[in-house]
Amino acid sequence: MARNDDDDILTSAVPEPDAEMTPSERAQAKTFAELVDKTLAGRTPPAMSTDDRALLEVATVIRVAHGGLELSAAKKRSLVEEALRRGIGGAASTTSGDVAAVTPIRSSRAKRWAPWVVASVSMGLAAAAVLVLWLRTPAHDQTAQAFSHDDDSLIGPIAREHSGDASARIDAIFADRLDGFRDRRLTVRTRGGKP
Amino acid sequence: MDVELEEEHRLVEEAQRGNLDAMRPILERYASPLYGTVILPRLGDTVSAEDILRDTLATAVEKIGRFTWQGKSIYPWLRQIAINKVFDLHRQAKRSRRLADAMAHEIPVESDPASHADAQLMADQERRAHRDRIDDAMGQLQERYRVAIELRLIQELPREDCAKRLGVTIGTFDVLLFRAVRAFRKHFGERAPTIGET
Repeated sequence: MARNDDDDILTSAVPEPDAEMTPSERAQAKTFAELVDKTLAGRTPPAMSTDDRALLEVATVIRVAHGGLELSAAKKRSLVEEALRRGIGGAASTTSGDVAAVTPIRSSRAKRWAPWVVASVSMGLAAAAVLVLWLRTPAHDQTAQAFSHDDDSLIGPIAREHSGDASARIDAIFADRLDGFRDRRLTVRTRGGKP
Repeated sequence: MDVELEEEHRLVEEAQRGNLDAMRPILERYASPLYGTVILPRLGDTVSAEDILRDTLATAVEKIGRFTWQGKSIYPWLRQIAINKVFDLHRQAKRSRRLADAMAHEIPVESDPASHADAQLMADQERRAHRDRIDDAMGQLQERYRVAIELRLIQELPREDCAKRLGVTIGTFDVLLFRAVRAFRKHFGERAPTIGET
């Protein structure tokens, strides 16, 4: 809605007390009266128009001049305590800042490099371990090959031409188990274990 | 007086040595005069005034090391911090209206700490000066406007009672009060010194 001079309650001329009251003025006056009601009850609404706020500030200035507004004891206590907390907190941070300012540069550098030194040593150790494992791998393979039973007749699929050699395979299995049993028995005796 | 000048001096010195808790009696003593005679009359908004008071007290605690005792109360120093913060708020809010300027620049000469030995005296003078300015502006109003303000804002009577006293309806009284506050605002702003004059 467009505003004109008559609408501008802050800058336009104030009518005489007996001047005609327009519906618009009555509406504005009612809104302001309700704001005054709430303010006197200590419930000033946080949101209001700029013009209403300006007029309400005037009303407050008048009231405070006549002693209508005092800071309650509880409010005063809470404001003082909060100020002290904030003030002491600010002083503490200043103190810690001073301490940081006098830290020797050399010491500070050493602290800065420490994580990198630890990380480098750790990486060197890890690389050495990988190298050792890589160098040991061929010996391990040879050992594995030496004990491999890949060509054992008991291991692997049975060829079609040996499908009728079941009894021979059973004999071979029995002999293999017997060898294992003997090895175990002999080993135990050699070490002095129970027979 | 809760804290005598010597006691105030001792507390200030103790705070400057690092015991900031020594500021508590000083802040408790001066919180009310700062709020009622320095901050709120210049803002007219209780919420903002409490914020400014909180900031003022916190700044005082933080900067007590910079305060120089001159044999007078710490109150003028606190007051100047408060006034600076009020100015800052007016600038931030861009409240360039005449009333805001009038409230902010009211009684500037009383910021001089050398001319005030006693904090209570200073607060009383400021309160009286503010009251005089309000009464002067009220004196400029038409009779019905002045009565409307006195009944509703000073005596704090309900709207219905105010309307009865003036022999009008509540709706008409609302308009009278509305016009009265607008008129007061104009007179109060016009009588205030401008920034250049202070």
